Formats: sequence, structure tokens, C-alpha cells
Amino acid sequence: MANDMQNIGYNAAMSQALVEEMRRDDSIFVLGQGVATGGWFSTEKGLAAEFGADRVLDTNISEAFQAGVVAGAAIAGMKPVINMGFGDFALIAGDEIFHKLAKWRYMHGDSFPMTAVVIFPIGAMGGAGPEHSGCSEVLSMHYPGLKVVVPATAADAKGLMRAALREPNPVIFHSSQALGWTKGPVPVDDEYIVPIGKANIARAGSGATVITYGSMLPRCLQVAERLAGEGIDLEVIDLRTLVPLDWPTVLASVRRTHRALVVHEAVRTAGAGAEIAARIQEEAFYDLEAPVLRVGALDVPLPQHAALEAMCLPSVDGIAAEARKLMSL
Amino acid sequence: MNNSPQSPLASPGPALLAQMYRRMAVTRHIERLMARHVREHKFSGWWHPGEGQEAAGIGATAAMAVDDYLWYQGRGCSWAIGKGMAAEPILADLLGKVTGSTRGKGAGVPHWSDRSIGVMGEGATLGSVYPLAAGSALASKIRRDGRVSLADFGDGTAARGTFHETMVHAAAWKLPLVYFCENNAYLVGTKLRDVSPTENIADYAAGYHIPGVVVDGQDAVAVYEAVTTAFARARAGEGPTLIEAKVFRRQGHYAGDPQQYRDIEAELKHYRDPLDVLGARLEDGQAAQLYAEAETEVQQAYAAAQAAAEPDASVLYQDLYHGQ
Repeated sequence: MANDMQNIGYNAAMSQALVEEMRRDDSIFVLGQGVATGGWFSTEKGLAAEFGADRVLDTNISEAFQAGVVAGAAIAGMKPVINMGFGDFALIAGDEIFHKLAKWRYMHGDSFPMTAVVIFPIGAMGGAGPEHSGCSEVLSMHYPGLKVVVPATAADAKGLMRAALREPNPVIFHSSQALGWTKGPVPVDDEYIVPIGKANIARAGSGATVITYGSMLPRCLQVAERLAGEGIDLEVIDLRTLVPLDWPTVLASVRRTHRALVVHEAVRTAGAGAEIAARIQEEAFYDLEAPVLRVGALDVPLPQHAALEAMCLPSVDGIAAEARKLMSL
Repeated sequence: MNNSPQSPLASPGPALLAQMYRRMAVTRHIERLMARHVREHKFSGWWHPGEGQEAAGIGATAAMAVDDYLWYQGRGCSWAIGKGMAAEPILADLLGKVTGSTRGKGAGVPHWSDRSIGVMGEGATLGSVYPLAAGSALASKIRRDGRVSLADFGDGTAARGTFHETMVHAAAWKLPLVYFCENNAYLVGTKLRDVSPTENIADYAAGYHIPGVVVDGQDAVAVYEAVTTAFARARAGEGPTLIEAKVFRRQGHYAGDPQQYRDIEAELKHYRDPLDVLGARLEDGQAAQLYAEAETEVQQAYAAAQAAAEPDASVLYQDLYHGQ
């Protein structure tokens, strides 16, 4: 590995960007349950020791308060960061996130810069149960005023966190529970940034476009490698940002490959894939040779039992089968 | 820090008393105007009259510095006027004009914002004020900027989870935050006494080990003094205070409310108009003169607001994202 790169974990990469930005900008502060002790997934490791109790605040178990404080502090010109632990908890703080953070400037006719990062780790982690495993990203997509990112690699976790901390709009930062401990090459550079709103073509191909994000990226890349042996050449797009979504990259790819498959960990019905599939058929219908297909989790609350949970989630076999079906249509 | 005509640690002097009365009179004239407006169906939003409760907003804001943070969630417009907003943007917001403080967007019900004088805006989900105000209070604590945040709310939202979640943290962290309850005894049409375990909302303060103060909400000077004390405590780093002003809701919950849930005639026997209470503290003839001046100001502002342009479709995506 080149000496400008490091092999670190996805959560550690997020934390690295946070530490680096807190050093250069003293208006950034972090709150949440357990953050002063390092965070439950080590995302805030070392923060309290370096930045002190004023800028790293442990709260009670009180999501509405946490998110409301973030909104109020951001309106007052600070740059708050909160780790809410689980995406499912978005509903506990719904008013504060979807009304106040998303709408405050718009409804007051004011466009002042407002930085706030709400970290909502999403997805299954092997038996966390139906209220700790959900993917809530579609909620944030449905309330205009928020930006929404979902990194799928350690490098993007760092680069998107830096972008979020420099973004003059509230960002819902959906880290992936499944990827939290996975390691990958991450630039050492303390200015490394991944711009919000830019998708990444994770694998170039010509046979069909697989559009995915977050935890499903590694599975989609595995599927692409497997199907390459069968003569199917998949292009895999990692969206990285859901709002604003990089439609030019998606549509250009689909116009080249003429086939599209959307894959996400969230339940299939009314998931992000529904919007993506609808938009593709609206804008590229005459370039398509087959209907846009979708793969998502089964439409059930994710069971606590890890074996049952695994049956609900998109698998490499399941995604591969759907890709083969797409090519046969 | 203090931009009021009088030191906040003293009782209000003549200049501040006159300013308070003048601003209260402006809100009363706007109340009269809005009542007529609603009757004539010229108003598309919802108007929640604040008549009778003006001493709360006027007295409290008179004790605040210009750069203190105000998060109001009350009836009428006495909070915004009290903090220093002019009548014209207030009326233009109510009429949905581009010269309003929200440039025609109208905020919640609709409402007003002017961050340059600490009027932070208003959400329309009642009871949402608490953690937002704690957010600016926390910002002040981190920045050590000496500002205090005030959260104004009604008795009906003291049962909200966020009231208590926020107070737990504000008390534990000694945030420079003042809770200000306007207790008018009614939650829309429900009597507070039917749904509250305590007569006083201020009683909740004991659970958080902070001062709880009940004050005569018809007397702007009494309110001013209570808020001044609470702000001094907050600025000294001693944490929050819960102030409860007992106020009288002169009108219905919304303009046009038939109020079948209350015996308004019986209640009015105990009513003291906050303008009269404050006016009695002025020099002879001063109240009448200020009241007339305020009427002229409101009439001019109303004419200007009527003449202003309506927003067009070009504003629909404006302010959704910064720089857009």
C-alpha cells in the first residue's frame, strides 16, 4: 500500500474525518448517547479525550431532545453532529428531523448556511431485531430540505463525512451497520473529500446496470464477478448519495446498457428503489430492453433470529438470480 | 449586552415603560385588524388571537438583550413585536406578501423570524420549542457568548415529552435557558385542570432542582422582573428557570371559535386588560398618546403590506437548500 493510504475500518474512517474537521473548525461539536465513552460502534473513539466535555456531550436516551438540540444549535450557527445509534430511531425524533431540520429555513424564507450531521447507522447486524435493523433512508428522501448520504466503503465513509461537515445544509448520514468493521484503503490526506451528489461507477460493464448503495455494494460486486464467468458483464453503480441523487450518471449508464437492476437492503415496497426505477422508466424508457427490476429485503419486520433475518435480506444468490432474469427478458 | 433603555437588573424606568406600552399597543391594534380581516375572509392562514395575553410577551422580551435568542410559540404577535420587529413585516407575513419576514413563506401558522434581533422563528407543531431553544442555549454555553435563550410555550404543551427531556438536560448542564409558560388555563378547548396533576406548571421545576416562579401574567412589569432575575441567573452560569405567567385568553383558540367550552361572561368579571395595567404605570395622558401613535403605525404598515406583491412560483424552490 502506498504511504499516502492506510487500511482502516469504515467506522474508524468516519471518526478520522470527524476528528480532523473538529481540529480545524471549533464550531463542530458531537452529542449522543455514549459518545463521550467512545460511541457504541467506536465511531467517536478518542473524541472526548482530545476535545473535552464542552464539545463531546453524552446525553440521556432521548432522541427527540438530541435531534431538536442539533436543529436549534445549527440554526444558532454551530455545526452539531449527532450519532443516533440506529436508523430506526429516526421515528422517535421525527418532528425534530423531518419538520425542524428539514424545513426551518424554507418555511421562514431564509437561506442561511446550516450545517448539521445526523448519523443514522442502518441495516441488519446479525440479530439486532426488528427495531434496530431497519433502513430508514427513504424517510429522509421524502422530506425535501435534507441531504442524504450512504457510504459503502471506508474511503467514502471518510470522504463523505468531511463533505457533510462542510455542507451548508443538514445531512442525514446513513452509515452501514454491516460495513462498520470492514476495512479498506483510505487516503491519509486530511483534506480528502467525496463530494455529496456524485455516484461512483464501482465496476464498469456493458451488459446491464446494477444501481446500489451502502451494504449491498459488496454483494453486487460479488455478483458481477460471478456472472462475468457466465458471460454477463454488469456495470455496478454505487450511488453514495441519495439526495441529491446523481441522475446523470445513472441515466447515462442505463442508456448504454439498456437494462437496470436496483438493489438495496431496505424493504422492497416503497424503498429508494421504487423511486429510482420509476425515474429510469420516465426518462429512459425507449432506451430500455427490459423492465427495471428491484431487489430489496422481504416486506417484513426483520426477525431477531439471525438465521431468519438472513432469509429476509438480499443474498448474493438472490441478486444473481435477478440479474440473470433481467438478461433473459 | 443589554440594549434596553434601562438596566435589566432594575425595575423598568420611564423610557422602557413607554417602549413596552407602545409595543403592546401595536400588538393590540394588529389584533383588532386581524379580527376584522378574518371576519371579512381576507386571510388564508390561521390566526390565533393573543388579546389579553400581551403582557407576557411584552414584559419578557423587554428583559432580553437584542442578541438573546427568542423561541416563541405563543398566541398573537406580542413576542415578535416585543423583541423589536416592526409592524410591517409582521402584517406582510399575515397577508402572505413578499415583504414579510418570511418573504411570503409564512412559517407555521403563519409566523415571523428575524435572526438579526434574535427572533428565531416558530414551528407549528406545538411543544417543539423546547429542544430548539436548548440548542441555541448549548451553542451559547460552548461559545461562551453570554447569550440566554428563552422558550415560550403554552400550558397545553407542558405535558410534551420534549418539555421534560429538554429540562433534564438543561438542568444537568446548567444551560442558559429560560422556560416561559403562558398559562391561560385552556388547551384549545380543554381545561388544564382536567388534564394536569398540578395547578401550577411551575411546580414541575422542583423535579429538576431549578427555580419555579409563578407571576401575574397580566402585569408586564411583574413579568419583566421575573424574567430579569431568571436571565441574570442564566448568564451567571447557574442554569435554567421555569417561569409561569398566569394569563387571560380574551378570545377563542382561533378567530371564529364559538368557545362553547367556557363561560366567557363569567370569566370576564375577573379580567384585567394588560394595557390598562401597564398604562396605569405611565404618566397622565402618555398611554393615550402612545396608543394613538401605535394605531397610526399599524395603519401605515397595513397599507404598505396590502400594496406589496404576492409571491410567485419563482420562490417555490428558494431556500430549500443553501444558495438555491
